[in-house]
Amino acid sequence: MATTRRQGTGTAAGRGPAALVARLPRPHGTSAPLFAWLMVLPTVIVLLAVTIYPLIYSLRESFYRIELSFSPIPHWVGLQNYVDAFTHDPRFWPAMGRSFYLVGLGVAIELILGFALALVLNRLGRARTVVTALLLVPVMIAPVAVAIEGVVIFNNSWGPLNYLLAQIGVHGPVWLGDRSVALNSILLADGWQWTPFVAIIIAAGLRTLPEEQYEAAAVDGAGRWQLFRTMTLPLLQPLIIVTVLIRAMDIFKTFDTIYVMTGGGPGSATETASFYTYLQGLQFFSFGYAAAISYIQLIVITVVATLLVRRMRKGLG
Amino acid sequence: MSRRIAKDGLTWLVIAVALAFFLLPVVWILLTSFKAQGEVFHYPPVFWPKNIDFRHYSSVLQGPGGHALKDSLVVASANTALALLVGVPTAYSISRFRVGGQNLAFWILSIRMFPPVASAVPLFLLFRKYQLLDSYWALIIAYLTFNVPFVVWFVKGFFDDLPRDLEEAALVDGATRWRAFTGIALRLAVPGIVTSALLAFVFSWNEFLLALFLTRSQVRTLPVALANLVGGHEIQWGEIGALTVVAIVPVVVLALALQRYVVRGLAFGAVKG
Repeated sequence: MATTRRQGTGTAAGRGPAALVARLPRPHGTSAPLFAWLMVLPTVIVLLAVTIYPLIYSLRESFYRIELSFSPIPHWVGLQNYVDAFTHDPRFWPAMGRSFYLVGLGVAIELILGFALALVLNRLGRARTVVTALLLVPVMIAPVAVAIEGVVIFNNSWGPLNYLLAQIGVHGPVWLGDRSVALNSILLADGWQWTPFVAIIIAAGLRTLPEEQYEAAAVDGAGRWQLFRTMTLPLLQPLIIVTVLIRAMDIFKTFDTIYVMTGGGPGSATETASFYTYLQGLQFFSFGYAAAISYIQLIVITVVATLLVRRMRKGLG
Repeated sequence: MSRRIAKDGLTWLVIAVALAFFLLPVVWILLTSFKAQGEVFHYPPVFWPKNIDFRHYSSVLQGPGGHALKDSLVVASANTALALLVGVPTAYSISRFRVGGQNLAFWILSIRMFPPVASAVPLFLLFRKYQLLDSYWALIIAYLTFNVPFVVWFVKGFFDDLPRDLEEAALVDGATRWRAFTGIALRLAVPGIVTSALLAFVFSWNEFLLALFLTRSQVRTLPVALANLVGGHEIQWGEIGALTVVAIVPVVVLALALQRYVVRGLAFGAVKG
């Protein structure tokens, strides 16, 4: 393709401008022209300035103890902040545990329900576009708005949810005030917002599957469940993995709904890693320590993100 | 035949239940925004408010909401403009010249996945040093962390789909590469660029954690204002409902209009949708 184009323009326009053209479509070339580098320069500078530089700056801070409330003058403590996080802090690891609980259960529930919804969604005819658009409403609105819906709907004295449950004879729990329930209420809010996202992605993936193979398999007498297990799932596997990784990273970052719905409580029942980092930083003003535990979380997310990027690289070539 | 009808009926039943589940909470907030305080606290819950009037909207917008609406508009617009200015040329360069190979492209993508809580503390410390805390600039700059990578990836997809022939012809006619970019490619990619702008706007508009860290009293975007209202002493649910509706209406309109691209945008382009 590229070679024919090169020859074509080369003979038509002589040497000067044609040489430029010859360099333009170069999908496998290694040296891009200066012009191309100048165009990416602003992005590289901005991203270095807003992510890498702050990270280096805070890496330095994480070796200091800075507590604006007690000792405003930072003093060097080496790796002590990290050692503290791993050994002395009774709140950090339970918080990490809650984050992983949300990730594990949230991803599983959203994937299963999303898959089921996707299968139903694809059975619709023309109405699918409208239904899809409506399902995007929860996905697009601000998590803080979702949290406010949660506070109103979960309210146990005047909220509509427990009223509805009472109508069918179920005594609803204290959704946000009960230690054993609150974390699951956060999970419910996340599932409400993101299950449609999973459903729409999977539905789009399902529509790309080759129909002929299905027909052939059906002729061979394969049952529905057998088709699903031996064809649909393996064919969709790359998409499912990408979806799982995206959701896992996002749920690990959950903060807004917790801040508004429970404030980490009752007690510390909904205190996740990201919420605990906020407490250390903006409530206790232990910036050095907050920087250290952000680094620990960054490493966790980087591992997941690397898996995701590697998977997408494979997919996109 | 009857089996077919039963099946279609079941499909629609599931869809109806799903739509009710996913939309009723939004409808409930809309209804709450019209309710008097007594109606909010009423048991059994009141579904239809007695009066549909907009007094909660006017009172909250004259109070903290109006300020927050303005701040959100300023931050989201300025950040979107800056993200496009920086990101679109990069998208073109990566699409046309594969500059930096896959490594640069995926480095940019990986920054999009950055956990905000990990950049919040560093940015807070840095902005404190440069006295940018609690200013528009704090958020306009901080939101570049996710919106520049987003614009690059999203718009690159559109440039990839454009034919190169026109740009090549222009180069043959003696146009500079810059002219070929601004005069041809940029014009053809306008739909993609507009879509990316609208989505980037939504991402800024919805952001909460960085706003909480980096601003306090001078600047207060809608999500922060909403969180403050919920945490207040005498909670005015009607006003909260009204401000929530103000915060979600533009986003809902965009979701309905842009549905084809929303999923592609949220899934880092992994799905064409």
